[in-house]
Amino acid sequence: MPQVRSRMPRIAEQAVERARLTVVPRTRAQAARMPFVALVTMMLLGGVVGLLLFNTSMQQSSFAATALEGQATTLAARQQSLQMELDRLRDPQRIATAAQRLGMVQACTPAFLELGSSTVTGKPCAADGSVPFRITPPPPVKPAALDPAPHVVHVAAPPATTTRTPQANAQDNTGAGDGRNGDGGGKKNQQQHQQQQNQQHQQTRR
Amino acid sequence: MRQTRPPRGSRRGSPQLRLRMGFVVIAMVLSVFGARLVQLQGLDPNSYAAMAAAEGVQNVVLPAERGDILDRNGKPLAGSVDGLMVVADPQMTAEKAPELARFLYHRLDVDYVDTLRKLREPGSRFEYIARRVPATKATEVVEAADAAGFEGLDTRRDPLRDYPVGDVAANLVGFMGTDEPLAGLERTFDHQLAGTDGSARYEVGGGNRIPLGESTVTKAVDGQDLRTTIDLDLQWYAQRVLGQTVESARADSGFAVVMDSRTGELLAVADYPTFDANDPTGSPKEDLGSRAMQDVYEPGSVEKVLTVSSLMDLGLVTPRTKIVVPPQLQREDRPINDWFTHGTIHLTLAGVIAKSSNIGTVLAADKFEQGQLYDYLSAFGLGQPTDIGVRGESQGLLPDGSAWTHQMQDRIAFGQSVAVNGVQMAAAVNTIANGGVRISPSLIEGEATTDTGDVVGTDTTTKRRVVSAAAARDTMRMMERVVDPEVGVAPGAAIPGYRVAGKTGTAQATSEECGCYDGTFDVSFAGFAPADDPRFTVYVVVKNPRNGGGGGSVGGPAFAKIMSYTLQRYAVPPTGTRPSRLPVEW
Repeated sequence: MPQVRSRMPRIAEQAVERARLTVVPRTRAQAARMPFVALVTMMLLGGVVGLLLFNTSMQQSSFAATALEGQATTLAARQQSLQMELDRLRDPQRIATAAQRLGMVQACTPAFLELGSSTVTGKPCAADGSVPFRITPPPPVKPAALDPAPHVVHVAAPPATTTRTPQANAQDNTGAGDGRNGDGGGKKNQQQHQQQQNQQHQQTRR
Repeated sequence: MRQTRPPRGSRRGSPQLRLRMGFVVIAMVLSVFGARLVQLQGLDPNSYAAMAAAEGVQNVVLPAERGDILDRNGKPLAGSVDGLMVVADPQMTAEKAPELARFLYHRLDVDYVDTLRKLREPGSRFEYIARRVPATKATEVVEAADAAGFEGLDTRRDPLRDYPVGDVAANLVGFMGTDEPLAGLERTFDHQLAGTDGSARYEVGGGNRIPLGESTVTKAVDGQDLRTTIDLDLQWYAQRVLGQTVESARADSGFAVVMDSRTGELLAVADYPTFDANDPTGSPKEDLGSRAMQDVYEPGSVEKVLTVSSLMDLGLVTPRTKIVVPPQLQREDRPINDWFTHGTIHLTLAGVIAKSSNIGTVLAADKFEQGQLYDYLSAFGLGQPTDIGVRGESQGLLPDGSAWTHQMQDRIAFGQSVAVNGVQMAAAVNTIANGGVRISPSLIEGEATTDTGDVVGTDTTTKRRVVSAAAARDTMRMMERVVDPEVGVAPGAAIPGYRVAGKTGTAQATSEECGCYDGTFDVSFAGFAPADDPRFTVYVVVKNPRNGGGGGSVGGPAFAKIMSYTLQRYAVPPTGTRPSRLPVEW
């Protein structure tokens, strides 16, 4: 007590004097310190180790997450590429080209067969492919220098050369002329129509 | 020990003084802190934030996936694929450049010489080797290169826009530039398609995210798909038929429109020549749009259908109205002629349509009062944009009241002095098919907002009655006579077994340069089938055919092919009724 009092600041001294504090008698014995210290140490240790384990496991799942994210990106890209490939395979142009290669031709006018009554509506006709359906644009026109007029040599007798030259020419011609006959009939009618239409419009303008 | 020390106060002055001194010191220190705070937070906060971020914090852009453009059945016309660019660091690749160039030439299909030059570029540390490569392929190639012992290749994100069907509907869909959409629906609906990129910010250690480190993620909002009313297969077919027609007629260009008569949905809008959306730079600039929407032209005789149905709606004529058609009709200072030379002939109104007589149409149109034809043609939608969502649509030209002279009415009655775009005219003819009710055409399924803020699509379809159902039916019966092999001018447009109503058109084309008729012609055919219960309206226009063909011989067969295919595709059986036998002469 005197020690304590001597350390009191001067301001509080008088108040302390007035309070006349007395020591409260000790009523219980001090508890043993060891178990408490051990408990606190255990808790601290346990906490630190637990935190360490928790952190490690989180780090590990972070590695796993990164790896899985990478895998997801790769798989998504793969799915997209496959989808793209599928779309290209479904391209009507590709299907039509494949169909034409198999010898398929355009259908004639639509007709319907009713299964219940076995009646046919419409006028069915055979698809003979007489009008070729061109699905690729014509090749660009070559400049004259690259596409010279065929040089035809008329040879009198030798059979070996005559068979070779016309064959080559014939093939060229079919290649170039293919698809030009898509207009169907009525060529004469067209010409007449157009000419007269020309006349009419010119006259109208006058 | 402590007792022996004298009290501190005595040596160090009064506590008040010391407190004050203490406060002053604290205040000085705090104001230094305060000044530093203002400097850090107020004057230049960003540079410090950036410095902090540089310490292991990664900012990643989470790219939004661009929405697809789909056809009516959900097949993609344009799709987005995760793409990568392959880049090289010439300082590392120069050593083995020829081998690596050869490897890349085989794997990525790049130009050998060009790649070799890039791989050896002196002083450079970054060269593009290939751009917009599908991600799987790029990764595979770079991994294979690593395995083969080549160094210095890397990949970076480079989104890829893929058009799986190439030139099909490219005229409508448009295309993407390096970073932004440049044309077509891609550009018009970019806001909807693009979406919003997200971002992620997290700390990284050794390539892995630090679990308890900073981590903020703003998710990307993917773009929405745009569904069109186009039928991909029909569009393809229409484009090929049109291409063949234009090429065989040695014409300049052409377009074809297929419309659902009842809903106004555009099933196909074909243009020829067109371009490959995967390689737009490979085609001339004038082919990169849609002529069906962007060109104006005079519709020619197809317009007679509108004139005649208007006359019938007013009750001024019937299909059997008798008209004496002279060889030539003198109107003020100009003569009007027919496309075929004839003496004075006696045609019914049905005959006027079947034979496409200009004189007969003009004589019938004389029954209009001032302004009536203009009102009808406006109601048919001429001179007004269709607003279907295609960029740069031209609204056509319908002269209004002040410019409307009697002579002009004569010409407009048979389709001159009035200009339209393809879809506009198809919608006008479709009015007859739809029983006299004009239904506005649409290209977008549902609704979508264009870049100019207009809402377009099937949800905004409007209907308005233009002519009575009876007038539309009578017009249809007259149009049936056009494809009649005996009396009509376009037997080539007939589809055996079906009732088809149509009308040919051959019109003088105007030249932009001189603003006059340049001596070439636009030929066309518009029609619908089955005539008595129309399901589809098809309109084919071919510009400047050089084979001497007219609307019936060039447009007719193309119409018949496209219509047959459409009827077959949508399983529309013939109605089985008898076609009209209206008399054409009297």
